[in-house]
Amino acid sequence: MTSRLKRKLNDLGVDTSGSKANESFCLIGTPLPPLEKSRDTGEFVPLWKQEVRDEKGRRRLHGAFTGGFSAGYFNTVGSKEGWTPSTFKSSRTDRAKQKALRPEDFMDEEDKAELRDSQTLVPQNEEVDIAGKYAGDLASRSLEGDDEQDSVSLALEKALLPTPKESPAAKLLTKMGWRPGQGIGPRLTWKQKKLRDAQAKSTRILALDDLKLDPDEEDEEAQKHTYPRPDTPLNVVARKDDAHGLGYNTGPSLNVALGNDRNSKPSGPRISAGFGLGALNDADEDDIDIYDSGPSSRRGLTAYEAGDENRYHHSIQKSASKSQMGASIARNAPLQRFKNGDPVLQEFVLADTPVTEDKWYRLEDVPSGWKPDPHRVWDKYSKENEPAAPVPIPGNKGNLTIEQVRSLPTMNFTAQKSLPFPAAQRGQALGETSLPTKPRSVFDYLSQKDRERLKNFIPPQVRSEEPALATPLPPPPEISPPSGEFVYPRLDPSVAKAALLGFKPFTSDPVKQARYTAYLKSQSEVVSDEDRLQLKQTPGQDLEHFQNELREYAQAATVFKPLSGAMAGRFTTAKAVDHGPAVIEGLHTPSQAAPSPEAEPPETKVEEPENAKTHAVKHGMYGILTRETSVWVPVKLLCKRFGVKEPEIEAREEDPNLGSKAQADWEQETAFPEAELVASGAEGGPSAAAVSQGAGGDERPKRRDLANVGLGEDETQGADVLTYQRPERSIFKAIFASDEEDSDDEDEAKVEDTDLREASVPAPSGAPAPPSKKDVQMDVDEGPIDLATFKPKFVPRTERAPEDNPPTKKRKKDKERRKSGKALVSFDAEEGEDSPVVLKSKDKDRERERKKKRRPKGKDSGKDEKRQGEADDDGDDMWVEKAVPEVVQKMSVDTPSELPKGKTEEAGRLGKRMRAEDFM
Amino acid sequence: MAPSRGPQPLARTLHQTLKAHKGTVNVATYAKGTAKYLLSGGQDRTIRLWNPNVGTVIKAYSGHGYDVLSITVSHDNSKFASSGGDRAIFLWDVTTGNTIRRISGHLGKINVVDFSQEATVLASGSYDATVKLWDLRAQSRQAIQSLDEAKDSIQTIHVGPTYIMTGSVDGHVRTYDLRKGELRSDFIGHPVTAVVPTNDHQSYLATTLDSHVRLMDGSTGKLLNDFQGHVNASYRCRACFGFNEASVVCGDENGAVWAWDLLDATVLQPNPPPRVHDKVITWTEHHPAEGGEMITASADGTIKVWSLPK
Repeated sequence: MTSRLKRKLNDLGVDTSGSKANESFCLIGTPLPPLEKSRDTGEFVPLWKQEVRDEKGRRRLHGAFTGGFSAGYFNTVGSKEGWTPSTFKSSRTDRAKQKALRPEDFMDEEDKAELRDSQTLVPQNEEVDIAGKYAGDLASRSLEGDDEQDSVSLALEKALLPTPKESPAAKLLTKMGWRPGQGIGPRLTWKQKKLRDAQAKSTRILALDDLKLDPDEEDEEAQKHTYPRPDTPLNVVARKDDAHGLGYNTGPSLNVALGNDRNSKPSGPRISAGFGLGALNDADEDDIDIYDSGPSSRRGLTAYEAGDENRYHHSIQKSASKSQMGASIARNAPLQRFKNGDPVLQEFVLADTPVTEDKWYRLEDVPSGWKPDPHRVWDKYSKENEPAAPVPIPGNKGNLTIEQVRSLPTMNFTAQKSLPFPAAQRGQALGETSLPTKPRSVFDYLSQKDRERLKNFIPPQVRSEEPALATPLPPPPEISPPSGEFVYPRLDPSVAKAALLGFKPFTSDPVKQARYTAYLKSQSEVVSDEDRLQLKQTPGQDLEHFQNELREYAQAATVFKPLSGAMAGRFTTAKAVDHGPAVIEGLHTPSQAAPSPEAEPPETKVEEPENAKTHAVKHGMYGILTRETSVWVPVKLLCKRFGVKEPEIEAREEDPNLGSKAQADWEQETAFPEAELVASGAEGGPSAAAVSQGAGGDERPKRRDLANVGLGEDETQGADVLTYQRPERSIFKAIFASDEEDSDDEDEAKVEDTDLREASVPAPSGAPAPPSKKDVQMDVDEGPIDLATFKPKFVPRTERAPEDNPPTKKRKKDKERRKSGKALVSFDAEEGEDSPVVLKSKDKDRERERKKKRRPKGKDSGKDEKRQGEADDDGDDMWVEKAVPEVVQKMSVDTPSELPKGKTEEAGRLGKRMRAEDFM
Repeated sequence: MAPSRGPQPLARTLHQTLKAHKGTVNVATYAKGTAKYLLSGGQDRTIRLWNPNVGTVIKAYSGHGYDVLSITVSHDNSKFASSGGDRAIFLWDVTTGNTIRRISGHLGKINVVDFSQEATVLASGSYDATVKLWDLRAQSRQAIQSLDEAKDSIQTIHVGPTYIMTGSVDGHVRTYDLRKGELRSDFIGHPVTAVVPTNDHQSYLATTLDSHVRLMDGSTGKLLNDFQGHVNASYRCRACFGFNEASVVCGDENGAVWAWDLLDATVLQPNPPPRVHDKVITWTEHHPAEGGEMITASADGTIKVWSLPK
């Protein structure tokens, strides 16, 4: 506002700093801030510009209710770093300085403010004697029973009882001159007091003049003083926390009625507690508690309302007297007996009158000649004229009569709820006609529109059967039949079939299992009940047991039917049935006659591993079957002593302790699974792979004892075949190909091979499709790089692509000319090596020819010459290749060794990458 | 000398009867070299050096606390080793008759000891089913190596130039090949009491307690020949080759000496052979060089030297 005003004034040319401009004429409300002030804090700020800050200007406000936003850690710990843990300080020296931390130490200002707000002047839970209850109590007591109250006890009580805590208000009042027991207000003169007293007595309003004062009567002294106002009694309204109506008179509680309520005052003299009283002693006058302060001393202990006390005072008194009487009786005649002769427990007395006596009213006199005619009543009340027989109601001892039922609705709600039969039944009992409702189906709950929509979904031929659809489903098959009636429990055939395949729950009891299976079989066929062959009772089985058994089977079938769908494939049932240990009943008695069956198995077990060999021995088939070969590592010293060179088995064996047969076996079985695969006949699917592997593991089956192969004792037999999976090709590559170059070499060798044979040989199956010729050429180009001869070449791009083909042709001719008479093979590969680089012209050819002549034919003729030529060909743009020194050439001899020897020769003859060795 | 066809007839003429031992003679072995002397050990805890030709005891070596079960003589005849029930190997000096060394380490009685060819290593096989190889060059008390493959008592050991052959009661003949680093176990099927290899180390003769003597092929483990007819079911009766390895000789438990043709396994005449010892013949050994001499040791306490009839 101000800024706009300022701007306007500026536009108008008014000096804002002048006194005129700043003159305030504001009488009501807040004036605008003076114009010279730079900012108007009350200026309107758009909502998006508004920022909520706390009183310290921080954007740190708690909670939605204080209009703030969450500031994350700022709200909790106050710093971005979080809590800094306090460093340990030894309290040994300055233990005294240590202070226990209070919660306030961790509070920030807001928390403290909140704490301050929540503080109350008067603690709520502390008892405060606000209205001087105590004093009033004392006063009332003094008023009530002056006769029985003696001053000594009062004084004692006053001195001994702790003074009640005074509320601040009471303190204030006392400071203002108020004393407990007095009324609040200015003190009254004698006259005023008299007037008040008179007013209380008379009904009309009295003036001061009306009061007749006879000064003679009056005490002179009395008139000299002012008097406190009388205390106005507080009208304490009792809380009403029951559900009774106003003015409802509840009966006396049982305790009260019995008179043994602990609150009820025993009438009669109180026996002083300090002195024991013998069981047979009567209360003497000496024993009477002379300090007993009477009923008012028990004031705070009443459990029922004060009004009740008054109301039932008489009854209490009565019963109390009664109990007193009973007590005396008990003392005089300690052994009472019930009517049936049982002795009454000690310190109990028989009541003279029944404890509760209901009011009994006399029956109406039945008029003579009256005959019961219920129909008269029924006709009167039930318009439907339905004959309503008294309905037997279960749970009720007698039959409810119509009247009783009719009276039911008048009962209160809780009573109604606890009735043992529902409203419908009651209605039936009352003879009401049920409302015309048909059994509701799901469709009844649907809206008309939805129903129509559903109808449209149903194909017309089904639509006719709709009512059938709407009928409720038949009840589940297993209904517990009424006792005595036999029901053959039925199962869904699909369930029975599934259960037949699934888990066998009664394996421990073969007979039961058989019966279970028979039952399932009987249920698995979809036939009517008559055709079904049913399980028969076992002899000596009564019908009920049979019924139970069948029900158990049906239940088991539903429980143990196997999983369906995808889960089913993951489980398989056990092949061997575990019957569990055979339990012999009774005490164990070792029998001499029957040798224990445990004695034999160990023997057979010992024979087991040797079985194959002993078998072989029996037949005299010594040799492979009886021989076992394993690795044995002699100690180095032993070899030395024998003068024998140590066997070179360390390369094969990592573990020098592998002398024992078991370890050796392990080594064989784990390290060469492929070899075993071959040995066991290679029945795996990818047999080609196995065969290709077999080359490596050829001699290994020899080492493995054939006696074990394929025999039952070979536990691992077949396992590897089953579990063997050919690993990915990359793994083989990673293992067998030492690095990139090698694999490239191989590729090249293959490629060359195929190439030289004019690609007539089909590519090996499984290998990627043979590359096109261009690819091949590229491959060869990148092919085995001779470390010694390799030099980077630079070829301008412009020269490469367009002149690819013509020069090759030329060169081809050239070469053919040069090497006429040699084997007619394709030179593509060779050409490919050089073709992209070559730039040709006739004179250059000639030049090369010259060079060739000039150069002596020697070790570095072939390839190097060619390279030289190449380099020359390519002219200035090319890196000129240096002639390779002889030493380096020799070094390079063995690097690309992948080429088969014959091929190298061939390639050499063809002039392809010749090496020095080719000429040696 | 020898007939052109078939094995030379067995020396069946009694040349000498050496009876100084009291009780069973468990072992009797020729000395090395020309084998002029004979060493025998028996139940009487003594080892005796004999001149079999004359039939006199040259020396008696006593030191064992239990019966002597095995004797082996070094290649230079300077010392011999013996073992027995006292679970220790005694190394004797032949001439002085002192024990050079006592080697203990086995847990049971030591059934057999054998020197290596240079007498650098001593192999001992024990009832505790282990074979231990002792270094005789060094003074170390520990065995060089222990061969624990056997599952039962070791009954016989032969230490060859590059291999160690053991026979065990578990029915296996195990050949530990030092050069190949390989253990070949041949299952014979019955407790093996004696293993005698041929001179070319290609095959060996295994005596088992099923009254069979088998000639086994060392390289393949195949049975080359099976010699039977004698009775040998519970005692160690060492069989051996006859002269030139043309025949197989074995004494049986009845005291008869059986001989078979090596090639066709027929029992040489006389068949059945006469009973020459009163008790079981525990050891049969042919003279390593001469054709007509053979000794048999028996449980009747005698050693009989046999020769061809003159």
